[in-house]
Amino acid sequence: MAMIDWNRGKRAIKWSILTIIAVLWGFPTVWVLYETFFTGAAKWGFTFDNLVQAWNAAPFGEYYRNTLVIVLGLLASQLVFGVIVGFILARYEFPLKSWVTGIFILQIVVPIYAVLIQDYQILDSLHLLNTLVGVMLPYAVSGIAVLSFRHAFRSVPRELEEAARLDGYGMFGIFRRVYLPQAVPASLAFAVISVTYHWTDFLWPMIVTNTNQARPVVVGLAMMAQASESGMQWNLLAAGTAIVVIPVLVVFMAATRKILSAFSATFNW
Amino acid sequence: MSELSARYEAKAASTRTRHTILVHVLRYGLLALPAAVIGTFVLWPLLMTIVHSFDQLDGLGHVTGFAGVANYQALTASPVFGQVMQNTLVFSVLSVVLSIGIAFVLAMLLNARALSASRILLVSLFSPTIMPMIAAANIWLYFLAPQFGVVDEMLGWLGLGQFNWLGHPGTALGSMIVLFVWKYAPYFTLFLLAGLQAIPPEVREALRTEDPVGWQSFRRVILPILSPVIAFVTTMAVLYSVETVDPVYAMTQGGPNNGTNLVMYYLYQLGFNYFSWGQAAALSVLLLVSLSTLSGFALIVLERRTFHWQ
Repeated sequence: MAMIDWNRGKRAIKWSILTIIAVLWGFPTVWVLYETFFTGAAKWGFTFDNLVQAWNAAPFGEYYRNTLVIVLGLLASQLVFGVIVGFILARYEFPLKSWVTGIFILQIVVPIYAVLIQDYQILDSLHLLNTLVGVMLPYAVSGIAVLSFRHAFRSVPRELEEAARLDGYGMFGIFRRVYLPQAVPASLAFAVISVTYHWTDFLWPMIVTNTNQARPVVVGLAMMAQASESGMQWNLLAAGTAIVVIPVLVVFMAATRKILSAFSATFNW
Repeated sequence: MSELSARYEAKAASTRTRHTILVHVLRYGLLALPAAVIGTFVLWPLLMTIVHSFDQLDGLGHVTGFAGVANYQALTASPVFGQVMQNTLVFSVLSVVLSIGIAFVLAMLLNARALSASRILLVSLFSPTIMPMIAAANIWLYFLAPQFGVVDEMLGWLGLGQFNWLGHPGTALGSMIVLFVWKYAPYFTLFLLAGLQAIPPEVREALRTEDPVGWQSFRRVILPILSPVIAFVTTMAVLYSVETVDPVYAMTQGGPNNGTNLVMYYLYQLGFNYFSWGQAAALSVLLLVSLSTLSGFALIVLERRTFHWQ
């Protein structure tokens, strides 16, 4: 009996510490949202004024469109290349295979930050600065995608492939019917990682873009913050931040557990 | 009859070789494009960065001669570089220690019940993790704003004066550490939680009955099981903290007096503000060596022990 009480007390303490930490962690975001919706000309009332003002102060529509193109375009290209290369590396032996694998591992190990300036100059010589393609190109192939698809395809038993061959499927049919379904869970986990990474990425798109036509929303927000900081328009800063944060929060609330387990299932560089 | 079968055999063999060659061509062809992308945007820039770090470069980045180690000398001799290195060291050490420490406490508190915890608790705990760093930096910028900000308002309620948190080198760097810990501690918790799940339930049960206080079992069993995950998460934290640049850009622009100028921001300044491409290349090489070593280490830890990629 005493033991049970002790356990229950311990659990209560645990949960109260957790709750305190959660409140502390949530407070800054909640505060900014509160300031966005509840301050303005008429103190203490719900208002969209700040949000509308911020939306008009910068071309957020254009920023969001750019972000969408960049994030989805990159996801598509990383998945396609990841599946193809992962399949070839998992399924075939050929000369120089370990060198080829090495190239894709190199992409993981070398941080883009260290080759930033060279990448900028290469884009410059290709006349791709300030374009969406330019923002995307250096990330178009992901080593992490290659490795995770290679892993997924390796775990497919060879007997399954033999059975499909006896059923008269060619190589492409085998790939589509036997291997591709195995890549679905890996794709989902990778999609969460890739989308989060590229939608939050800042330094590279900031350097490459210098007009609104190719700027993603994160870069636009940073530009706006600097403008509002110097002009002391703090309400715009709060509302601009809210424009960026609210969609993420909505998505996260809708799929909290799925997103969290995707994060811990693989990793993010 | 035998002649016919021999001819048939020969024909089949030649089709087979032609088929094999075709498959090889197809295979290398499919690998060529993705490999070319990495070659152009990782491998070639890597080599050029190393080469340029020993070259004399003009303001446009064109090579004008061989410089030997002059770029490295100029870089390390400048007082700003010393300041930047010191800032980065202080920032990284404190950020890593605090964020991993808090992540550990959170992981222990959440333990196996992590994903069964209430949604509101999870959302408020992990919301900093999922938002862009720039948005997080803006939230703290707003939070710490002189006069307007909540922090100053709260100090006002306590009868204390206002303070320009981002206007003084010490508190500005401190604010950035707080931001880093706020953003990444819950993220690192996720990895530690995944590591805790790997402890078999029988072991957990045995520990509970034999050592209800938990310290011994924690030290002798849980810590060794977790150690690869801890190594991985710590490496990742070091990488993230050394690569921190977004909040510097959004909150302080490296100021006041270079008090918050971190190494990645300094690299950006060297290149895109001061156009000293030679020194920027030298600094890139230093970063390249240290960061690639770290991420290579993380990859090895990951491949070998935690996630079984092979």
